[in-house]
Amino acid sequence: MSRGGGGHEYQITVFSPEGKLFQVEYAFKAVKTSGLTSVATKGKDIAVVCTEKKVTDLLIDPSSVSNIYNITDTIGALTTGITPDAKAIISRLRMEAADYKFENGHTIPIDILSQRWADLAQLYTQKMFMRPLGVETMLVSIDDERGSQIYKIDPSGHFLGYKACTAGIKEVEASNYLAKQFKKKEDLHTTYSDNETIQLAIGTLQNVLSTDFKSTDIEVGIISRREKKFRKLTPLEIEEHLNALSSKD
Amino acid sequence: MTDFSLTTFSSKGKLLQIEYALLAASKGETAIGLKARNGVVLAVEKQPPNPLVDETSYTKIQNIAGHVGAVYAGLAPDFRVLLQKARKHAQVYQLRYREPVLCSNLCRETAQIVQEFTQSGGVRPFGVSVLTAGYDDDGPHLYQIDPSGAYYEWKATAIGRNTKNAKSFLEKRYKADLELEDAIQTTLLTLKEGFEGTMTAKNIEVGIVKSDMVFRTLTEAQIKDYLDESA
Repeated sequence: MSRGGGGHEYQITVFSPEGKLFQVEYAFKAVKTSGLTSVATKGKDIAVVCTEKKVTDLLIDPSSVSNIYNITDTIGALTTGITPDAKAIISRLRMEAADYKFENGHTIPIDILSQRWADLAQLYTQKMFMRPLGVETMLVSIDDERGSQIYKIDPSGHFLGYKACTAGIKEVEASNYLAKQFKKKEDLHTTYSDNETIQLAIGTLQNVLSTDFKSTDIEVGIISRREKKFRKLTPLEIEEHLNALSSKD
Repeated sequence: MTDFSLTTFSSKGKLLQIEYALLAASKGETAIGLKARNGVVLAVEKQPPNPLVDETSYTKIQNIAGHVGAVYAGLAPDFRVLLQKARKHAQVYQLRYREPVLCSNLCRETAQIVQEFTQSGGVRPFGVSVLTAGYDDDGPHLYQIDPSGAYYEWKATAIGRNTKNAKSFLEKRYKADLELEDAIQTTLLTLKEGFEGTMTAKNIEVGIVKSDMVFRTLTEAQIKDYLDESA
């Protein structure tokens, strides 16, 4: 028993001799098995989530394939990772939001929702009854007091607010690309217009995936001060943004 | 699956899961605590993992109650769990006894929870060391709680990456009659010692509690004033 986990530190969430939690690290790897990359950006009056849309089989109804969900009217979610795990999370988030509204009379603030989910995720890393879920969840919303917000919760139970964030197989490349944009304009997350923010998200994906998208290759969700409800962009709107991006180059 | 402990004795009589948890905690960002004659200071590094993180979206130094604050080194999600349990205990105590919870009581109970997770079935130990700073009827107190469940009251201490160097630095400079203002300066100097890169008011957090029994975190402007003073 000199290894201290009995050799089980790979299978359940006990510490390894190096002080690591292997199951959590493996959960992060599982996020990448979906093969997709996701980006979230925010601007002055808008928060945007954007991800690839890969329909693996021609016989699948493409309208049923999506990683973008409404949690409430004003909070949107984008999941990256194992789809069944993602659906479990979304169900739970919707339930938490509804319970909060019932008990407190107002929509759950996005940071409270994020913390609620992060605390559950932490539970799975400490107790043996459930494995960590292989999903990174991005939540976006607009708050009257704090403006546009992006939160990301990962399998370890960490959650943070972001100026922009990425997840998935090319998350590092996308993150580097966004960091460069921030170097050019430090406050873009508080000044960018709606269109600039949407095009930043789409542009980041295009850049790291080195492909020219058709409007059906990606899905984009937005919550803006103007529209006040989280919704997905139609293929026509996506087309307009793609055209705007290509004319900029 | 949950009726046996995952933390069991090795053939050498060690509890390896606890040692590994201590290792996880010691890899965290350095945090310093210093007890002065008339108050306590906590300070911690705050360098987000990635430049895209909105550093205003989270604070590492948190209140447990009005008169007690805490900071951690190690796994942030584990800290949140202990924080919630400690906060609840503080409120239950307040309701029952009509008095702010004594720091010794609070830390003893929190440490008890940490210990339970080293012995109960189906759970792993917490991967955080916690420093709590409070001012109660007995005066100022600084406590440290380790992943083993051991807790000690300190005059000055450090947790996280730079513990060893920070503690020798503090040993040289500690005086029993230190005033809070000087303690803040000393704490900042200690934090600066092991800081990777340039320490500014933006990449650290500082919390203090005085005889007014209100634990508060300093604003960026206030931290900047202290840093400018020492420059």
